[in-house]
Amino acid sequence: MRGSLALASLIRHRARTVLAVLGVAVAAAMLLDMVMLATGMRESFRELLLSRGFEIRLAPKGTLPFDTDATIPGVGAITATLRVNPDIREISPVLGASIHILAGNRDVSGSALGIDPRVQGDYELLSGRDVTRPDAIVVNDHLLSQVGASIGDTLVVATGYDAQTRTYSGQRKLVVTGRVKFIYGANDQSSSAMRRETLEGMNERSRDRASLFMVRVRKGANAEAVRDWIDEQLPNVTAISIATAIAQVDERLSYFRQLALILGAVSLFVGFLLVTTLVTVSVNERAGEIAVMRAIGVSRSHVVEQIVLEGVAISFAGAVFGLALGLVTARYLNTILSAFPGLPMAIDFFLFQPRAAWSALGLLIASGVGAGIYPAWRAASLPIAESLRREAIA
Amino acid sequence: MSAGVESSIVSLRDVRRDYALGAERVHALQGVTLEVERGDYVAIVGPSGCGKSTLLNLIGVIDQPTSGTIAIAGKRVDAMSDREATQFRLRNIGFVFQRFYLLPILSALENVALPMAEAKVAKVARIERATELLRYVGLGNRERHRPSELSGGEQQRVAIARALSNGPTLLLADEPTGELDARTGAEIISLFQRLNADGTTIVVVTHDEDLASAARRKVHMRDGKVVDA
Amino acid sequence: MFALLVASLLVQGSPTAGRAPAPAPSLERRTIAIDEALAARAHLRVGDRVSISSRAGASGDTVIVGAIVRRGADPSEVARGELRVRMHLDQLQAIAGYGDRVDRFAIETTPAADIPRLIDRINGVAFGFKAYRSRDIAVETSRTFQVVSRFHRAIGIITIVASSVFLLCIMVLKVEERRRDIAALRLMGISRATVVRAIVIEAAVVAVLGSALGVLLGWATSLLVNWHYQALYRTPLEFSMVTPPTVVFAVSLSLVLGIAAGVVASLRLVRTPPLALFGR
Repeated sequence: MRGSLALASLIRHRARTVLAVLGVAVAAAMLLDMVMLATGMRESFRELLLSRGFEIRLAPKGTLPFDTDATIPGVGAITATLRVNPDIREISPVLGASIHILAGNRDVSGSALGIDPRVQGDYELLSGRDVTRPDAIVVNDHLLSQVGASIGDTLVVATGYDAQTRTYSGQRKLVVTGRVKFIYGANDQSSSAMRRETLEGMNERSRDRASLFMVRVRKGANAEAVRDWIDEQLPNVTAISIATAIAQVDERLSYFRQLALILGAVSLFVGFLLVTTLVTVSVNERAGEIAVMRAIGVSRSHVVEQIVLEGVAISFAGAVFGLALGLVTARYLNTILSAFPGLPMAIDFFLFQPRAAWSALGLLIASGVGAGIYPAWRAASLPIAESLRREAIA
Repeated sequence: MSAGVESSIVSLRDVRRDYALGAERVHALQGVTLEVERGDYVAIVGPSGCGKSTLLNLIGVIDQPTSGTIAIAGKRVDAMSDREATQFRLRNIGFVFQRFYLLPILSALENVALPMAEAKVAKVARIERATELLRYVGLGNRERHRPSELSGGEQQRVAIARALSNGPTLLLADEPTGELDARTGAEIISLFQRLNADGTTIVVVTHDEDLASAARRKVHMRDGKVVDA
Repeated sequence: MFALLVASLLVQGSPTAGRAPAPAPSLERRTIAIDEALAARAHLRVGDRVSISSRAGASGDTVIVGAIVRRGADPSEVARGELRVRMHLDQLQAIAGYGDRVDRFAIETTPAADIPRLIDRINGVAFGFKAYRSRDIAVETSRTFQVVSRFHRAIGIITIVASSVFLLCIMVLKVEERRRDIAALRLMGISRATVVRAIVIEAAVVAVLGSALGVLLGWATSLLVNWHYQALYRTPLEFSMVTPPTVVFAVSLSLVLGIAAGVVASLRLVRTPPLALFGR
């Protein structure tokens, strides 16, 4: 009976109920968005790092992968050292360089990765063939459109440019064999990949050097333990596990997490305030009704229950609409933030994670309960005779 | 319609009720002693502000005396906790108000059934009894109507049916005809007489001479005291 | 990219802490300046000796920390967590194997200089380099902050929309709470317009007072934000600024929204017949 009483009471004041539900929905949407923002980047980045299954990355000492132009010498020696550890399954050395593609009298600059196609974890082949030949190159769509080329075309690629003499060094003709999507690439970069030996050959200074090693551990092995072992064995490189990488990116993007926390807390508070206000006004209006219910023998807790149910109903309905609204606004906000320069395309700032989302919305509904309890209890505790007298005068 | 063993249903001994009104202290009741027998029909009359409604509220256990003792059906009610008082009211007291105070969002039937729902009576049983009660008060064909669809007299009759729903020991009414015209008021008076004839103990507070005359006993009050019982 | 530092050596900051360097240091014991972040991370103080080289683990030149420097307020550097060292140009060129090269020159002009003409003249005789206006480069490198600004603006818009909904909701509730008072006034003969006007004035006063409180709160929060992030990133950059136009905008908007909410709420009620408001 209490449930139907609560529902009937809400239906009686339709406009008020609709507005309150709308208000809670907006608060719920913001809360959801902030929860998605707080955890999104980290999860998204982690999924990205794990997408090819390489748990550890080796970068030049004191740097993050591709943060600087520095390279690691002794690829052969390092690979040999790493192979000793039975927990290491695969090693993928990657060499990064800037390139210039000479298209007529134009110079299109971009980046190139020198990889081993058997163990590479940097790109996905969209069409064509991988770099199985020494003179093969695969490129992303941005570079293709910049150069105006297609699969099968030959490109003149150089790794060096002397601004004083205006000459190119390390030139080579390479055939575009495939179209790829770079997993860690930003959407506004012209990127390509070729065999590592090819890129080394185009730049003497890069011989036997790598910008980065990607390491895959055996299934069931402890990645952190392997990382510590690499640290001991190779003091001239920095070994970064996924946890470390995430922690470092976290630090750089900590601003968004803090913003998310603050705005999320504010949303929760506002939702709470809204329900409290609604319940307070509602019980103030029905002071006489409440007094009569008490007079005919309805217990205080049952009166409170009925009133609190109204608050819960509004919070619940608001949470449901807020979920839909939140997902839409999150998509819009994500589009804005995806324009960050140099950010991998695959990173999402707002990621929907069911557990976090349900917890947040559950918290909102629980706060709806809390919001209703105090005004309801106060109203149900008013002296009955006095309330009746006041109602009679009114 | 009423139950009980002892003959004195209501027993008040030297009951006082004071309360603060701003900076002043109001002595609403100044030592009232009163007995109401089982099956009695008592009308409490007096000028405005004499304390009759206060007295009724104390008998109805919706207020507590400042001093003195009150017993209803042999049970001391003057020092009950809120929970005990609520439970006592639910099962032993039926209250009828001047302004009816039906819940506007419920139908007549649902209003009558409300106290039974609180007393955890099964749904089928309470619907049945509520229907029976509405028929008793002459509203058998208005069960599904909301209070806004009923006249003043009809609303008051629903309120009386509600007051009777848990078979109370005592029916209390505070100016039950106060909001009604003379003709409708007469219908209510006659209903009270029928209830009393069927065994219900009734205490009413009223300015209405006709209602007061229909009672078996009049208790006159003035300035918080019973002057003539 | 070490040589990026060189330009800052030529035109920017001066040491803000530390003792005066020793007079006429020999070539073997030259001084460097380090930034606060590096000093904190490596527990370095002025006067400490460090070895500096371009390769990890290799032996290098021994230098003395001559000064600890606070970086300029460059937004694009703020969150990068880089550690900066300032050295004598020739020493850095030697260590990095650059030879007689630099990454860039920074040029300070006289106040009366005609910058565009100067840039054209330089580019006319340039061989292997190009001249740009500093401001134009700054715009290019501030894309990060353009994205952040857009994000903030979007959040701001969402907050305003959300606040409007909340405000309307609460206003409707509060005005409805006084429906009997309004009904009584109407029954007495007070016109609808007067009732609406009274409620709107009340809403406006509440909006103004609320805005004043909000501006105060915003200003205090702004101080807190700056204090926190300046310490965190060791930068004098101001992250949050409460400017007169911002205040005017906020107060005007809240006034408009408050009044609008009051109008909507009161119109709803005055359109209902007074007796209906009493519940009859």
